Amino acid sequence: MNRRNVLLLLFMVMLSVVLQVAVLPVYIVSSFKPDLLLIIAVFLGLRGSFEKCIPIAWLLGLVKDSFSGLYLGLNAFSFLFIFFAIKNTSDRLYADSPGLFVLAVCTASLACSAIDLLLLMMFTSSGGILYSIFADLIPYMLINSFTASLVTLFPWYARPQEAP
Amino acid sequence: MEFLKKYILVLVTGIGLLAALILFSLNVPRNREANVIERGVMNLFAPVLKPIANVSGMAEDIWEGYISLVNVHRENTSLHSVIKELGSRLAAGDEALLENRRLKNLLDMKDSIKSPTVGTTVVGEDVSSWFRTLVIDRGASSGLKVGMAVVAADGVVGQVMKVAANTSRVLLLTDHASGIAATIQRSRARGVVKGKGEGLCTLEFTTREEDVKVGDLVVTSGIGGVYLKGLPIGEVTMVKRGQYGIFQTVTIRPSVNITRLEEVLVVLRGGYE
Repeated sequence: MNRRNVLLLLFMVMLSVVLQVAVLPVYIVSSFKPDLLLIIAVFLGLRGSFEKCIPIAWLLGLVKDSFSGLYLGLNAFSFLFIFFAIKNTSDRLYADSPGLFVLAVCTASLACSAIDLLLLMMFTSSGGILYSIFADLIPYMLINSFTASLVTLFPWYARPQEAP
Repeated sequence: MEFLKKYILVLVTGIGLLAALILFSLNVPRNREANVIERGVMNLFAPVLKPIANVSGMAEDIWEGYISLVNVHRENTSLHSVIKELGSRLAAGDEALLENRRLKNLLDMKDSIKSPTVGTTVVGEDVSSWFRTLVIDRGASSGLKVGMAVVAADGVVGQVMKVAANTSRVLLLTDHASGIAATIQRSRARGVVKGKGEGLCTLEFTTREEDVKVGDLVVTSGIGGVYLKGLPIGEVTMVKRGQYGIFQTVTIRPSVNITRLEEVLVVLRGGYE
């Protein structure tokens, strides 16, 4: 990963956090806010190298945890799990395909919700969150898939190179 | 003959002038009537005048509507910019008015709280849709500590959970992890207000025998020391008592509109590092 890609990744993460925390909530109902950090993690899983992107996926989850809920490490775990799952299957797939990226984001959204729910049920006493997660699951998957499909429209997406 | 030839011009001029003068003098008393000559001339020109007037009007239209439009276009552009500026000033004025009203309400709440408070602005929301937290623009440098109560003009908002140097995160009363010791203002029935996630709360651990009715105001009981006693939490919207069970199900709509929070007060009381 060269310096340009590192800077690009940092910029994308900062932009995603600012958009998700301060900009999108003003215009979009919270159920329809895209999880931009998850989309980056999926992108890394499909395009990035295994060794370099493991800590990045975990750190992306930590960044999300810093602005979400009370439990630091919740999304860090789910992002890492999703990264491993994608990385282990992406070698056998045509990872550059835009369709696959959208499908991976959709599946990752479902997996992220399921893992978060499982961890919350196991380790916390917030039982009522089950309803909230189920109520927002379909919009969450749809908006993430839609955002991922927009990402594939960018010209740089088609370039067959390693992710930043 | 020679005389006539010599003075014909003078004669004709004189006769002409005289005739004209006579005509004029004869027409002076009848100046409001059109005589034969006038009528004839008017009738003669009538068929020509109308088309000529139309053509003239068209020419005027062309001049004013197209050729003069060069200036009108310029004027239009400048007026548009003036309208835009005035519009933005008007919007800023309205915004200032609304902000003033909100801050006035917040100040009233501040005056009613007997502990020191610090005003903060909401700068962000939770990244996930299933947690309910806010990001505010004050942190440890302003004296904020974990566990301090956060209130708005209409009532309780939640409590400070994560404190950084210049920002903090507030756990809203509607989050599943939130719990506030509360009392029904009318009957003094007690319970714990827990978040339901979707903008509502429930009053838990209120026994079936307690007097709770729809419309009752729920206020903080002050137990636990986080919230001052008597701060409005919300209004009871539903009460359900089953045939069995010790407790009743009470749903509460928060007094504060969580989705439209902009300025809040942090009560600088209690809390821990």
